[in-house]
Amino acid sequence: MSETGTGKTEMTARVGVYLCECGPNIAGKIDLDKVMADILSESDRYRNVELVIRRYGFLCSGPGKQYLEDEIKENGLTHLVVAACSPRDHDSTFMEVCSRTDLNPYLYRIVNIREQCSWVITDPEEATERAATYIRGSISRVLRQSSLFEKPLEINPDAVVIGGGAAGMEAALALSSDLRRVFLVEKSASLGGGCGITMPQEKAVIEDPNVDIYLETQMSSVIGFLGNFEIGLKSADGKDEEITAGAIILAIGSDYSDPQESGRISFSESDEVHILAEAERTLEAAGDLKLRDGTMPETIAVVHCVGREEQGYCSGVCCSSSLKLAAAIRRLSPETAVTSVYRDLCLPGADGENVLRMARESGVELIRTKGTSLSGMELDLEKMDGTSEKRSFDMIIPAAAIVPAADTVSLAEMLRIPLDEHGFFKEAHRMTDPAGTTTEGVFIAGTAHGPMSVMSSMRFARACAGQVLTRLVPGERIVPEVKVTEILEAYCTGCGNCLDVCVYGAIYADTDRGISVVNEAVCRGCGNCFASCPSGALRTRHFTNEQIFREVDEALR
Amino acid sequence: MTQAESILVIGAGIAGMKASLMLAGPARKVYLVERLPIIGGKTIKNEESFPNMECSTCMVAPIQQAVLQNPHIETLTYSAVESIEGSAGDFSVSVRIKARYVSLEACIGCGMCFEVCPVTLPNEWEESLIEKKAIYVPCSGSLPNVPVIDSERCLKLNGTEECNLCVESCAFEAINLEDEDRLLELKVGALILATGSETFDLSALPGLGYGALPGVYSPMEFERLFASNGPTMGEITLRGSGAVPDRVAIVHCAGREEQGYCSGICCMYSFKFVRFLKHKLPDVQVFNIHSDVCVPGKNYEDFFRSVNGGDTEMLFTSSIADVHVSGTDSGLRVAYPDGGGVTADLEVDMVILAAAIIPAPLTARLAELAGVELDDSGFIRTSLDGSGSMETSRAGIFTAGTVEGPKDIQSTVIQAESAAGQVAFLMSSMADLTERDPSGKSVKS
Amino acid sequence: MPDFHPRIIGFLCNWCTYAAADLAGSSKLELPPEFTVIRVMCSSRIDHNLILSTFYRGADGILVAGCHPGDCHYGEGNYYARRRFALLKKVMETLDLEPERLELRWVSAAEGNRYAEVVNEFTDRIRKLGPSPIRTSTRL
Repeated sequence: MSETGTGKTEMTARVGVYLCECGPNIAGKIDLDKVMADILSESDRYRNVELVIRRYGFLCSGPGKQYLEDEIKENGLTHLVVAACSPRDHDSTFMEVCSRTDLNPYLYRIVNIREQCSWVITDPEEATERAATYIRGSISRVLRQSSLFEKPLEINPDAVVIGGGAAGMEAALALSSDLRRVFLVEKSASLGGGCGITMPQEKAVIEDPNVDIYLETQMSSVIGFLGNFEIGLKSADGKDEEITAGAIILAIGSDYSDPQESGRISFSESDEVHILAEAERTLEAAGDLKLRDGTMPETIAVVHCVGREEQGYCSGVCCSSSLKLAAAIRRLSPETAVTSVYRDLCLPGADGENVLRMARESGVELIRTKGTSLSGMELDLEKMDGTSEKRSFDMIIPAAAIVPAADTVSLAEMLRIPLDEHGFFKEAHRMTDPAGTTTEGVFIAGTAHGPMSVMSSMRFARACAGQVLTRLVPGERIVPEVKVTEILEAYCTGCGNCLDVCVYGAIYADTDRGISVVNEAVCRGCGNCFASCPSGALRTRHFTNEQIFREVDEALR
Repeated sequence: MTQAESILVIGAGIAGMKASLMLAGPARKVYLVERLPIIGGKTIKNEESFPNMECSTCMVAPIQQAVLQNPHIETLTYSAVESIEGSAGDFSVSVRIKARYVSLEACIGCGMCFEVCPVTLPNEWEESLIEKKAIYVPCSGSLPNVPVIDSERCLKLNGTEECNLCVESCAFEAINLEDEDRLLELKVGALILATGSETFDLSALPGLGYGALPGVYSPMEFERLFASNGPTMGEITLRGSGAVPDRVAIVHCAGREEQGYCSGICCMYSFKFVRFLKHKLPDVQVFNIHSDVCVPGKNYEDFFRSVNGGDTEMLFTSSIADVHVSGTDSGLRVAYPDGGGVTADLEVDMVILAAAIIPAPLTARLAELAGVELDDSGFIRTSLDGSGSMETSRAGIFTAGTVEGPKDIQSTVIQAESAAGQVAFLMSSMADLTERDPSGKSVKS
Repeated sequence: MPDFHPRIIGFLCNWCTYAAADLAGSSKLELPPEFTVIRVMCSSRIDHNLILSTFYRGADGILVAGCHPGDCHYGEGNYYARRRFALLKKVMETLDLEPERLELRWVSAAEGNRYAEVVNEFTDRIRKLGPSPIRTSTRL
């Protein structure tokens, strides 16, 4: 090929230029014969280049694709330019045609002379001239393009799940099979997580021969990418172990906010104030809620939305938990009067409506307020009609907000994934990739992602499992993007600008050599690092400045 | 490829498309069936999605393109499933591909045929706010960008007259008025039902004036009114008068009482509408008449706060069921019981009703065909064992998205990913039954 | 300058604005023939060299357009683009190149009409500004 050359005698490039008529859509506006003649008339501009330039009715049709394939083969084309429609329509079509021949698909280029030329430029002469300009730009550019080759990578289908709560266990069960091992890593001494109740999956996880459970163990190091991670584990007794896996699922759960963080709530240790999760556990274990002196409370208030204001979000599950608890107390201790104090009821779905009905039927008193404050055992209720009322209770149960677990920050740093504005792990895309992170192969399940119900936690866990099950198929390889960025080591000063701007964590510092290194399996080729590099040490394949300048030069000629 | 390696996904909205893309590959073929002539689902009707206010087209178009260009996905648009027989791993499904009259291969979407067609009819995809021709694509930017002919309204096809204008206008010989329905028999190992949902029929709430008062809008109508590729090119003008609204009331929870549940997303889309309104009409006054603000999860309260107070006044009503909308000489009056239970009046010129999310009319029929249970609200029942499973009451049939209940886009995608994972797991375990694991690990009992 | 035909380069991000340009095309909106589209993957890929060299190669105006803030296909690339542009405009001043010749706009994939507006408006602006001082100076 011309750009590589062989010794003294340069080979001639044979560039095929094929113009699609697209019926009247292109040929009806653009004088294709004139374009062809104009380009051919100045073919001596290209050194050692032979142009084959032809027009065809519909290149994207079956016969059109066959025609193109035959032309590539018969003419021994080294480069191909197709002047047709938008790359969004048919770039992949013609790349596919190339791949049926010896022509590398990255030595082909589509030129959009329909959407961005014949359809939008009114004057046929101007449109014809513009089409010629676009095509010249692409001929010039395609000669600067390089062959790129896909490099399929072997994968490890196993997965590491960090956190043995509802989400972690569900993810482990959804993944484990004879084809795939799961390493379930739990910081505490038992499975079950923060749900406060025995989860039904626990037994299944323990009995599953394909799930290896590591209790009192934490992740201490990680390197790698989707399909190939090396993970260091450290147990409480100081033992180190290294495991390998293809994916990491973060299911570390969450904590509850400190109710007193809110200026509106203050109580002392001797006051009978117990946060909701604690009360749930006591009720489950003991069957009732007693005061510290062992007597039954006559009145209990459950206060919703504690911490919503401070955290800046509604946890979405506290109304349901609060009302369920209130109803359960009424059921177990009918003599106790239970009041639920709320601002908004957030009870989405039919289940939510059932909970509300259950609370009402069990005789829970519901009070809507504009705001509530607590001092000791006395609630100050600001009613909706503008009045306010002070009421004392024997026991107060604040429903505290769900907040990120303490380990979130250190794990995020270790995995080089960002946190969101509230301190939870940030998803790759809030809507289209909510279980993924910016690091391919690292997924988020359950309340490590944000406050959610147990059901949603398990669904997130299954979604993570779904990503692993469909992307890491035993025996199949994965093909990373080839249009990625590379580092020209001789130019790199190791300043680290590129590390800072890469949202995918695809670049790391090689401190021994004082340079940055791109992990091509992780890079997505956006080019942000390229623009951040002060020394021109980066090159975005298939979109290099040198290539783009060819288009610019023809446009400005 | 055996049936155990093929999958049928019904519904090409964001859930169906995501699941299809995850499952399709050299070893697994996906048939994606869509009732409409285009793919994309409800998401593409929204110019922007909450809470990022992200351009939905930018978000969904790459997914649509990926689906259409994936060699392992066979997208069957304008099609409907007619029967589902068999069991997990071995389903027989028949699909009717309705006559489109326009060749998906030959048509390039130039739109010449629309111009010559003499028949106009309401464009339901645009909430009938605009008309279309009898040969049409539902919206600009449709994918696939190939029209379809409404056979009941086409003059030639309904036998009114020998009109042949579209055929003559087509330079690609893409139009064939002799086209017929085709029946396709498919063998698949598993199905995913992802046919989405509907919004509550607001005409069932006469007190809110929808249908009778032109200034009262459904949420989908308002979405299209705002859309830059919509009927007004994104200009917010009132139906009939064409005037720009000065005062807008959004009434929450329309249909909540009737449906018996809170849909959990209407507050958010209502606040999104506030943003829409203030973005295009900075001086507009917007009121949200509500009982509860339901903005669950880490992403939503911030959004609520960003509009509350500054961009909209939150008006509390002690009984949303007693809100009443009536016409006045100059516009609309919304009467509602306030926090103290006293009736308050609000004069506005536009009302948007935050309608509940309900099962799509065809959900019951689909459930019957598929032999799967519905829940009490009429959505498809999942997770019968409480494990978050997306499997329905019939083994091998899974579901994802709002066909299973009201939810936001994030939860829809999560369900699609869950369902895809379960299908992949099912497929690999069925393959496992026939060939033992080559690594020689012990087979799980 | 009635006969002045400016030479304008538009660097469009693949995911949003290039799609909008296609939509403008399929909607058959009218666009100026002086405007050349060059597709890049992300607006964050546009570096100082690409902009300044394009001016030195004779462009009268450069429009860079990408996804709206918050919509970037790559997370936050367009925020980087925005910051780099603030600096670039300052550099242009020192080169006696009117900063108005460079524009960064957000156009989403659904905004075919807006794309046409932005391009027509920018082209009009460059027509009024006349040829780039770099082009008319003796250096080139």
